[in-house]
Amino acid sequence: MSTNKTYTVPTYAAFGWLTFSTFLAVFGPLLPVESFRTIHGDFLDAKPFTAGHWFGVDSNGYDIFSGIINGARLSLFVAFITVGIGGFIGSLLGITAAYYRGRYDSIVNTAFNVVLAVPNLVLALALVAVLATNVDINEAVPTWRRLATLMISLTVVIIPILGRIARASALTWSGREFVVAARSMGMRDRHIIWRHIVPNVLPVLIAVGFLAVGVVIIAEASLSLLGVGIPDGASWGGMIARGRNDLEYNPHALYFPIIALALTVISTNHLGDVLRGRLDRREARL
Amino acid sequence: MRATYFLQRLSQLLIVIFCVTFGCSLLLQLIPVSPAEILLPVGSPEERALLTKEIGLDRGPIGYYVKWLSEFVRGDFGDIYYSGGREAVSSRLVVAFPRSLWLMLYTQIVALAAAIALGVWSAYRVGRRADKVISNVLFVFSSIPGFAIALVLVLIIGVRLQWLPTLDYQPYSAGVWEHFKHMIMPVLSLSVGLIASYTRLLRADMIATLREDYITMAASKGLSDRRILWRHAFRPSSVTLFTSAALNMGGLIGGAIVIETIFATYGVGFEVFAAISGRQYIALQSLVGLISIFYVVFNVIVDFAVGFVDPRTRDRRVNK
Amino acid sequence: MNTILSIAAMNIKFVTPRGLLEAVHEVSLDIPVGSSVGIVGESGSGKTVLSRAAMGLLSGSTVRREGKVVFDGKELTTMTREQVRNEFGTGMAMIFQDPMTALNPVRRVGTQIAESLRIRLGMSKKAAVVRTIELLSLVQIPDPQAMLRKFPYQLSGGMRQRVMIAIAISCSPKLLFADEPTTALDVTVQSQILQLLSDLRRELKMSMVLVTHDLGVVAGNTDYVAVMYAGEIVEQAPTSELFANMKMPYTEALLKSIPTIHMQSGKRLAVIEGRLPDPTSRLQGCSFAPRCPYVQPKCTAEHPPLVNAGNDHLYRCWFPLGQTIARKQ
Repeated sequence: MSTNKTYTVPTYAAFGWLTFSTFLAVFGPLLPVESFRTIHGDFLDAKPFTAGHWFGVDSNGYDIFSGIINGARLSLFVAFITVGIGGFIGSLLGITAAYYRGRYDSIVNTAFNVVLAVPNLVLALALVAVLATNVDINEAVPTWRRLATLMISLTVVIIPILGRIARASALTWSGREFVVAARSMGMRDRHIIWRHIVPNVLPVLIAVGFLAVGVVIIAEASLSLLGVGIPDGASWGGMIARGRNDLEYNPHALYFPIIALALTVISTNHLGDVLRGRLDRREARL
Repeated sequence: MRATYFLQRLSQLLIVIFCVTFGCSLLLQLIPVSPAEILLPVGSPEERALLTKEIGLDRGPIGYYVKWLSEFVRGDFGDIYYSGGREAVSSRLVVAFPRSLWLMLYTQIVALAAAIALGVWSAYRVGRRADKVISNVLFVFSSIPGFAIALVLVLIIGVRLQWLPTLDYQPYSAGVWEHFKHMIMPVLSLSVGLIASYTRLLRADMIATLREDYITMAASKGLSDRRILWRHAFRPSSVTLFTSAALNMGGLIGGAIVIETIFATYGVGFEVFAAISGRQYIALQSLVGLISIFYVVFNVIVDFAVGFVDPRTRDRRVNK
Repeated sequence: MNTILSIAAMNIKFVTPRGLLEAVHEVSLDIPVGSSVGIVGESGSGKTVLSRAAMGLLSGSTVRREGKVVFDGKELTTMTREQVRNEFGTGMAMIFQDPMTALNPVRRVGTQIAESLRIRLGMSKKAAVVRTIELLSLVQIPDPQAMLRKFPYQLSGGMRQRVMIAIAISCSPKLLFADEPTTALDVTVQSQILQLLSDLRRELKMSMVLVTHDLGVVAGNTDYVAVMYAGEIVEQAPTSELFANMKMPYTEALLKSIPTIHMQSGKRLAVIEGRLPDPTSRLQGCSFAPRCPYVQPKCTAEHPPLVNAGNDHLYRCWFPLGQTIARKQ
């Protein structure tokens, strides 16, 4: 930890894995890999390293390798979008609250505390349940709406996590001399926030944002295990949920998505840590 | 002066409880259909009207909330409705709550015991091999979700080796070993991630403490390293650790949903899940209310526990 | 003359990201039994590191220590940590600069004093409490009984320093290291603490090493003085000899930077210009040359050795003060 090297082998590995899985997520459909929905009836429960099915086939006949590539798209897509939107709303609230203080700040802060008082998963589940209720309760909820509901719910979970960090960081920065100086020069609040506070808060937010990506990926997978994740069980979490059903005879259907998910979360957590460490060192030098 | 502080803190937390439960009842208003329709899918319009009145949904959002609150305070957490009958949430909680409580308690004990040992040791050996190995291994484990660990444990220990049962819960009365046999895997799955995060917190604070003059002072008194670590350095370093542990209590009581489902422990977390998937909104509101009360109560407890661990904060607070 | 502590050819280096940092370079120093020796220098001169290393309190993977330390006839540098530890408290003890940070914030004053008595002297709980109260009155703390249950944060700076002294002397050490014992205190309290220390030294027949940046503190409280600069001893003499017959321009500069009551108001206090040299690279010439007002070409070219002027007076300077040599002023 005390080394001065910024980038170590694990950092490159983490970065490499994320680039690789993002590549799969973006260009997955263009790769010469069969669709994950193709059913390989002759290869049911095939073990890994079977010709044509590197990672084996699950008991429904789905190729696990194709599933992983497709799952990367959904898991990462949901995670990055959610953290992006949640981070934006959270930091908007947090930074303005820290800057303007007063009643607005206490309302925002209380709101964050209220949301944080409810366990992540309970909150997400409750929101999914309420938002995905149809007018006609017997009619199935369309896929796009279930996906949107899921993402809104996860966004609500993320907002206070990142918002709180943004608020804490903005609080320390808005007390600094250069902000006071800018104020005394008669600069407009919006300008001060945008030019002086946001650039300083942003690096911390990005670092914590990486950790939040991990939180969302795990939350989505947990929801999948409970049957309300990304529809059709196509995400990594959905694959784990399906693999769970016949883990006795076909454990690799469980192992591969778990490994993909764990590697991704380890990578985002590690990159978040590295960024944080760099920021701390920069702070220490100031 | 401390009483004032206590009341101030308590009122802040009561506001949180109020907002959480009131938010829940607002969610109820968001549903595009009448909750009575969901709760009694096969009931007649008269029955539904009766239910709407009984729950208080005809009184508007505030009237409903007041009714719910007055019943909640008296220990009536509402009913769960299913075809052909209903069951009081409180009677289900009598079964579920002890399960979650034991689960949480064992998890915290295991996680804290391991984290304290590992955190103190790796801070003592900071920068050396033991520290690096501990930190890296824990980092990897902290990134693996609990359910993944649970599933792998089930597969290896439960299914392949058949050492432990993979499902169900047994109370103490069924035998101590029976009880623990069913708890080992859920507790392990929940505690691995906690061990990692607790160890990290303690290690960081402990490293900072070990650089303090009073540690050098203790060394110059001729005390053994062990005594310095445990008697002099541990306590001032443990505030963050215990704060974070206490804040996890509420989440462990009601948020261990996936683990409780995988191992069929059926504690409070599972009740929450059942309430959500069965659309038992009144039950859900009461359960979420209870969980947030837990969160808040442990918040207050930790505030005062910190005063015991670090006496400096006792007076600092008054000045604030 | 018997020595209680003898440091020979001590080198201390720290491993840092920027390379090896040489904090102490080839220092040899003897502390005679029953005497009080001052180690003087600016912050960063290596005096604190020297005293901690002599006691063996510097540990960790980043410290490189060479040299020999003999305490009371025992060679500390070849002993195990366990054996060295047995000398602490009863043999050597230390007082730290900042009593705020050197007392454990979460433990009661009574516990912190009694701990040494119980562990190092094996006293019973009761005996330890009785002795603690004696010690507290010995360091002139009013109402020692009430002090037992207090936490350090409830005390004033002077009181805390007295508590720390009580801890240090609790096992009647033969040698007391006092590392800037008065720096963090108010001026009025400073003299009280110094007085207390020299009274205790006489009473308990301790030897003392007084580490300070203040030549004024050294003047009245020590028998010998060693002046350190950039990790080296640059001048060393019996205290009276040093003040009467200063050889080293650095010592003179240190003395000039002390305010005195005789100073005219409005006259500026002398400041030593410049900064300590970078400890990661040793200069070829005299370490003080870049800041010395009397610097000569030879000073930057060759490193001066420590020479003996007689009367136990050692100095490290090519052109010592008081010799008739043309100086550029």
